[in-house]
Amino acid sequence: MARKHYRIGVMFSTTGSYSVVARSMLNGALLAFQEIAEAGGAVALEPVVVNPSGDLVRYRALSLELLGAGIRQVVGCYTSSSRKEVIPCFEKFDGLLWYPSHYEGFESSDNVIYTGASPNQHVLPLVDYLASRVGARAFCVGSNYIWAWENNRIFREALTARRGTVVAERYLSVGDTEFDQVISAILDQRPDFVFNNLIGTSAYAFFRAFRAACRARGIDQVNEIPVASCTLSEPELAEIGADAVDGHLSSSVYFSSLESPANAAFIQAYARAFPDGPVSSADAEASYIAVKLLAATLEQAGIDDARTVRAAVANQRLAAPQGEVRIDPQTHHAWLTPRIARSALNGQFEVLLEARNPIAPDPYLVQSSPRFASAMRSPVLRVVQS
Amino acid sequence: MTSRLLQNFKGGRALVVIGRNGREGALESTLAKLGVTTEYPEIVGGRAQIDVGGLQPERDILFVDGDLEGAVAIEVNPASRLPPVPVIGLVGVEAPSRLKALVNLGATSFLRKPVHGGAVYTSLFMGINQFLLRSDMYARVQDLEGRRRGRRAVIRAVILLMQENGLDEEGAYSQLRRASMRARQNLELYCEEFLSRRANPPDIPGRATSTTLQGGTKQAM
Repeated sequence: MARKHYRIGVMFSTTGSYSVVARSMLNGALLAFQEIAEAGGAVALEPVVVNPSGDLVRYRALSLELLGAGIRQVVGCYTSSSRKEVIPCFEKFDGLLWYPSHYEGFESSDNVIYTGASPNQHVLPLVDYLASRVGARAFCVGSNYIWAWENNRIFREALTARRGTVVAERYLSVGDTEFDQVISAILDQRPDFVFNNLIGTSAYAFFRAFRAACRARGIDQVNEIPVASCTLSEPELAEIGADAVDGHLSSSVYFSSLESPANAAFIQAYARAFPDGPVSSADAEASYIAVKLLAATLEQAGIDDARTVRAAVANQRLAAPQGEVRIDPQTHHAWLTPRIARSALNGQFEVLLEARNPIAPDPYLVQSSPRFASAMRSPVLRVVQS
Repeated sequence: MTSRLLQNFKGGRALVVIGRNGREGALESTLAKLGVTTEYPEIVGGRAQIDVGGLQPERDILFVDGDLEGAVAIEVNPASRLPPVPVIGLVGVEAPSRLKALVNLGATSFLRKPVHGGAVYTSLFMGINQFLLRSDMYARVQDLEGRRRGRRAVIRAVILLMQENGLDEEGAYSQLRRASMRARQNLELYCEEFLSRRANPPDIPGRATSTTLQGGTKQAM
């Protein structure tokens, strides 16, 4: 039987301020395309790669271009602002966006399949960890757009419910690297930890500058004011540089240091395919998962129109590098395995805690928060390394 | 009095009064994602069959199709203009008369038909929280109204103390205020009861009571 051929849009900003993560996402997607081609299954996927360069206007224009050319499935976007920018295009043309990144939740478009982590799979486990093991006073920093605003809101409500406090929140434009005032405010406040929602070059500059400022004042930053994030991944540790790479906490569903045959195979194949980097990341794995699930769904659906694919994607399962992943039929978000890790000098993460099983996505925190916002519940993680 | 913001709708029940012709769009599937179950009351003789007495404001939300004229008959509080549960209008024909009918039912939010999934959370958030806010505001207005009516008792109590104890106006007022604080009552209510105690009791009817002054049947979620 002849293989059915589909053109698949792939849209990542491989240039611009968050290009390091986006290039690892493109690599993750391309690796999956390569493996699908080599496996010779019932579907042949042809990636059509575009680069919006982090420009929201170009995201919209390129989405319209891909959809206008008859492409119905697109894997792409890293920032929530870009996803929200293109969703109306996908709704207008009834295409499907496979969004492969962790995000802040409170969204569930019928034209998006979400393979990255929902807030109950990243920020709530992190709050649990920080409140029980690090301290109660947080200083929040973030890039000035919806990801940081909303993730900080969820963080603040969950931390407050555990009798913690957010002493301040500071936002900087995406790409901004001038941190003197923010760092000075943090050192004045002396919080128990910093909750970081900066992205891209802003985040890397902050980690370096904060470590340097603490060092200049004789403060042991890692132990006295650790920085915790829901975004930090391995290619970004390389960007931060050896001088400030260690001791950062990260909450994620995937770390490349995970020990499993599936992850070992993924890491090996990724390194062989992309020897020049950037190295793999949680969002690269989510992109890989998205393309693999897309192929399986198209094989089952036999056609690529959104309605049929949307129906066929429900309960699709994959033995992913992070463990089993499946798509929730109601929300079209993924069941994923939350983990907390700490960065080490070798540019990798040491996993400290992890959930025993994949956790159901809860994008609106319907199952994870009370009716009136106060105490929030998060999945119980088991100790991997103390 | 601070209104709490409701942002998790889990356990809610949506009663959707609509002609089942596909124009309800993504309403039921999106409500399910938000933890809200959907029921469609039967429409008999143009009237939705709703057990109004069984409606619970902390659980139920009523979605009313504005194109179904007179399908819903619920009692709106004439003073607060609040319905017994939050009402969200479903708008098809965007005519002033139909919008007015929804406003008269106490709708605090609207959704266009066919319902688009991306609009449901916002509409639910606004509809329920506006209902809560208006309930709180109404309770506050009632409280203030009661206190305004009670100012006459304050004046009479001040005059009485000035006459009986030879105090000046400021001294009499301060004494009453301190006493009301000790009794943990607002000044107006304390003065009402102060005068009641001193009046010739049995044959003075119609004395205001604490019940009328407290007032307000707050309809919070």
